[in-house]
Amino acid sequence: MASLFTFILAHQGDSADPELIHWIKERLDQIFGTGPWTVVVVMGLIILAMPIFVTIVYLMQSKRRSADESPDQDGANQDETSQERVP
Amino acid sequence: MQDTQKTKKPIYYGWYVCAATLFIGFVAIGARNSFGVFVVPMSEEFGWSRFTISLAAALGVLVNGLSQPFFGQIFDRTGGRKMMLISIVVLGTATAMLALTFHILFLAFMFGVVVSMAQSGPAPSNTAALMARWFKRRRATAISINSAALSVGGMIMVPFSMFMLQATSWRVTWLALGIIVLCSLPMALVFLRERPEDRGLNPDGDPTPIDGATSTGRYGAAGPLEVETWKDSFKTAPIWQMAGSYFVCGTTTFVMSVHFIPFAMEDRGISGATAATIFGYMMFLNIFGGLGAGLLSDKIGGTKNWLAIAYSVRGIGYLVLLTVDSVLGLWIFATIAGFSWVATPVLTSSLTADVYGTKALGTISGITFMFHQFGGFGSVLLAGLLFDLSGSYTLPFAIVGALLLPAAISAFSIKERKYSSRYQTAVPTLAAGD
Repeated sequence: MASLFTFILAHQGDSADPELIHWIKERLDQIFGTGPWTVVVVMGLIILAMPIFVTIVYLMQSKRRSADESPDQDGANQDETSQERVP
Repeated sequence: MQDTQKTKKPIYYGWYVCAATLFIGFVAIGARNSFGVFVVPMSEEFGWSRFTISLAAALGVLVNGLSQPFFGQIFDRTGGRKMMLISIVVLGTATAMLALTFHILFLAFMFGVVVSMAQSGPAPSNTAALMARWFKRRRATAISINSAALSVGGMIMVPFSMFMLQATSWRVTWLALGIIVLCSLPMALVFLRERPEDRGLNPDGDPTPIDGATSTGRYGAAGPLEVETWKDSFKTAPIWQMAGSYFVCGTTTFVMSVHFIPFAMEDRGISGATAATIFGYMMFLNIFGGLGAGLLSDKIGGTKNWLAIAYSVRGIGYLVLLTVDSVLGLWIFATIAGFSWVATPVLTSSLTADVYGTKALGTISGITFMFHQFGGFGSVLLAGLLFDLSGSYTLPFAIVGALLLPAAISAFSIKERKYSSRYQTAVPTLAAGD
């Protein structure tokens, strides 16, 4: 039973199989051929890029909306005003 | 004003909410998937057996599955924003605290209970429920984007953990993962909102209906089975049809997650590296399968038909796997099954929201997800036991594969046109009532 349980969890989709991870790592080492820190920095930047990108898009949109609406709006509520609001 | 709307339509705010939940799910699932990276170094340092450390992971699976309905209920009662913010803080802090592990009981409690429970907050069942509030016409698409992100999270966060571990130590790596999870907090604080009405918007950013915004359906009215509490939903047929087929979904995906590589190596005689490549290919395809299912469901309609097709296609994949006795059979299976892998949760979540509305959706989705997890756990045990008895995976794979036929029939027999809000039309004279 113990071996069955170990076997199940070692290949559990919920947390990746250590042997599979080791194999993937070897492949990535072959592809990148660089030190681990390089990959850590690249992956870290990819991870952080997502919220930064979304925030930049949101700010750009907000700025554009406020510029568009400034002639006929008092500017008190600048977001989403060009989409129709619920009464 | 009308001209301005036509020429420069801004991005609907719901997409920012979608991006926020996508990132939260990405880091939360990624941190959890990385557990396997720590198995070897932690076992070596503390002298734990593989079985001992696996108990913490097993406890995590159980706690995560059981806590889903409760978190769903919290979502319905207090709202997704508050629950997800608290979950992120707990998840990030607990993940970072795993760096302090000194005993197996600490690991079992911190990972198996605290992390696994906190991870139920931004779980797909809850993010799907949140998406269902923000989207109606593009509901399945938004849910599918969230689902695809979970696959990508594993693909990026796990390698990140591996190399971080190589560069530093397992303690520093746990700490780094905790910090990354906490990095999603600002995004959640800024962008997460409960409903479009909170920002004065309609779902999908659509203009207000001419009859005065009284309708709640995708195309006009609420469905006849829209419920206030989750209990009411379980008195109707569609939830049992969906939960039953979702149970089969769990059995057929979990069993492959666990037993595919050993099956490919032992029954088909290929190397572990090739087996891992085929499995990775299958996981990669599920991103496109999920996105494709969401788009097709939104564009063409007939969600239950796509759901039935997804189960049928997976069934054909199982048939190929068992009948084509070569590596080619494995590749064909991976291609067919890969496309259906994430399609079923996307379509089930979308259809559940269309039939039962969004008021108790968190709890309903949590319960159906629990069915999925139970099915998965049972099938893994069954396959292991039958393998020990028969020495082959043929029998367990045939049994779970055969279940896909009733699952497809069950999905196909859902009376979507009768119950889904998508097919209801507004009746202006009854708008203020039911």
